[in-house]
Amino acid sequence: MNGIAGTRLTFSDATAKVGKWLVLGFFFFFTFVPLIWLLLSSFKTNLELQMRPFALPAVWQIQNYVNAIQISGLPRLFLNSVVVSSVSTVLTLVVTSMAAFVFAREKFPLQQALLNVILAGVLVPIIALMAPYFRLTNALKLYDSLWALILTYTAINLPISTFLMHGFMKTIPKELEEAAVIDGASFFQRFSRVIFPLSRVGLVTAGTFVFLFGWNEFIYALLLTSRIQSRTLQLGIRFFVSQFFTDYTSMFAAIVLTIIPSIAVYVFLHEKIIKGLASGALKG
Amino acid sequence: MRRIISTLIVVALALVMTTPLMATAPQEEGEIVLNFPTFWVGQDSKAEPIADLVESFNAEHASEIRVVIEANPDTDGYRDKINTQMAAGQAPDIFVFAPDPTTFQYYDSDILMDFTEELQGSWRNDFVPGYIEESTKNGRTKSVPYEIGLTPIWYNSELFAQAGVDEFPATIEEFQDAADALKAAGIVPTSQMTGGSNAWTSMLWYSHIVGSLGGPDVWSKPLSDPLFVEAAEVLLRMYQDGNTTRDAVGGDAGVSGGHYMAGNTAMFINGPWYIGRIRGDAPETYAATRLAPAPQVGDYYGHQLGFMLSNLAAANTDDERKRDAVITFMQYMTDPDNVKLVSEAAGSLFAIKYELGADADPLQREFVRAASEATFVIGLFSSRYPVDVVAEFGQALAAMALGEATPAEFVEMLIEVNN
Repeated sequence: MNGIAGTRLTFSDATAKVGKWLVLGFFFFFTFVPLIWLLLSSFKTNLELQMRPFALPAVWQIQNYVNAIQISGLPRLFLNSVVVSSVSTVLTLVVTSMAAFVFAREKFPLQQALLNVILAGVLVPIIALMAPYFRLTNALKLYDSLWALILTYTAINLPISTFLMHGFMKTIPKELEEAAVIDGASFFQRFSRVIFPLSRVGLVTAGTFVFLFGWNEFIYALLLTSRIQSRTLQLGIRFFVSQFFTDYTSMFAAIVLTIIPSIAVYVFLHEKIIKGLASGALKG
Repeated sequence: MRRIISTLIVVALALVMTTPLMATAPQEEGEIVLNFPTFWVGQDSKAEPIADLVESFNAEHASEIRVVIEANPDTDGYRDKINTQMAAGQAPDIFVFAPDPTTFQYYDSDILMDFTEELQGSWRNDFVPGYIEESTKNGRTKSVPYEIGLTPIWYNSELFAQAGVDEFPATIEEFQDAADALKAAGIVPTSQMTGGSNAWTSMLWYSHIVGSLGGPDVWSKPLSDPLFVEAAEVLLRMYQDGNTTRDAVGGDAGVSGGHYMAGNTAMFINGPWYIGRIRGDAPETYAATRLAPAPQVGDYYGHQLGFMLSNLAAANTDDERKRDAVITFMQYMTDPDNVKLVSEAAGSLFAIKYELGADADPLQREFVRAASEATFVIGLFSSRYPVDVVAEFGQALAAMALGEATPAEFVEMLIEVNN
């Protein structure tokens, strides 16, 4: 048996290779089969789904995709989700990168205590904050607007994003900042010219979490909005769930349409996400 | 890549900046706008007739009152939203009120509009007797009875005929014989489910059995009464020996209803709201469906499960004009002619007196017949117990069906949560 470079593979090498591909195949199967099943099911009738859940559709029901777009007003909701997820991501990153810079690179009284208070927010279940957020949104006259969701998602994500950014910024060597100071960099320039650009992988990691949160969030979107003009995709998916009946196949069609951007984000940014996670895990 | 991301961010920011900060609907001078969040939207069978009614109402009261439907898909999410709003002391102008022990607690606060005085007058005569009383707590009626449910046993007469069973079984022994005959013919006897928020189909079977054992006053008995364990034993048998489908444990309403519609199972339980679905998706099963009371397990027979499904409620207000507008809308919604329109279009039943038209659905007529022939009517387990006990029902049932709990332990689990 010849290897890539023409060298002979030993039995143990071949076994290791087969084992590697078996493991990869196993994870590939469990990752992709549900997605493929979802895609195929989105072309079936509901009855077909119940009777033959793993068969190919007898007649490919394009109507499910028409329903997905028409009944739930998917195009508008899609646009709203893009806006809400993107703007809340930008806002979160702007705020938390500056906060993390101060906590990671400066020394001041009660530094650790303040950081702990912020990070403790990670432990608060978001459902416990529904009533306060609702009252606050109403008091600010933001109910039923995209801003209600943008500000809420930003607030909810501050702790986790600060945690990620802080962990990342702590790994940047002090010498780089010291060199910038010697060159005359101000406090803000140390952040904007040195630390912020070097935290790009961390920003992508935190940004991905925040974006996906905004993209997938349902309960606050339902609580804080009432018209389609200010609602997001996850509510559109639920339009197929009524009190006593769920139109699963149209819902699956809507889900297929909604996960496309998530997959696209991951395909384009997966290297940085993995690098960021690994970096945080090893050095954070 | 950086350029693409930057462009996307700029476009998103531009879009959000052009989105109105506040999204309040434009309002004419002197016009009262009432927001009506409801889950009767999307593919709900009542979505279209309710939207039509609201549109007619708005046309009738142009420039005076305008009701705006807020579409809230997902019933569970809707309830979370309404409960949060009420907990925050800011109930919606008009909304669908779930008449259960948890939400009735809001009667003790002053956030709900009180209809007691209005319902003492001629408006009261529009309602079927009993429902206003059920919606009254401590002498105050703070929600208006609207949709009701009746959940008899549905059975597929064609499948019964295939198995050589001519009539629906009247006793549990006959039921077992019929189940054996169905299984011998390759047909699964019952649809069951442990999933969903309340294990709906199986919870209905349990309520029927409990009613047969305990009679009209069964829900006044504590869960520690032996009849609840006896009912659990009967329900357990429905999960054993092929009496239900293998996916019943963990299955939701889509699973139990899907098997019945597909002709895989011969018996099922649901309300009249399911008529539209089965008529459209499974016309053969629809044509073969008949209704019956549950087989007799104890001393009682011929009863049905009837319950208030959805009431209408409104936020309390000191504004007399707004209060009048709300009451005008409530009276419009409960007008017998309007209720008839919704009932015939959606297949639903209501707490208001009305006559079905000549071209009403035959299965809907069966429901009316089942209601009129009932020896007595009791509520559901889910109407009697708080939401956490109802949520536990499915978990405990799954444990029992999987052999991890005995019927006595199943009831113990419910008692534990109830305490």
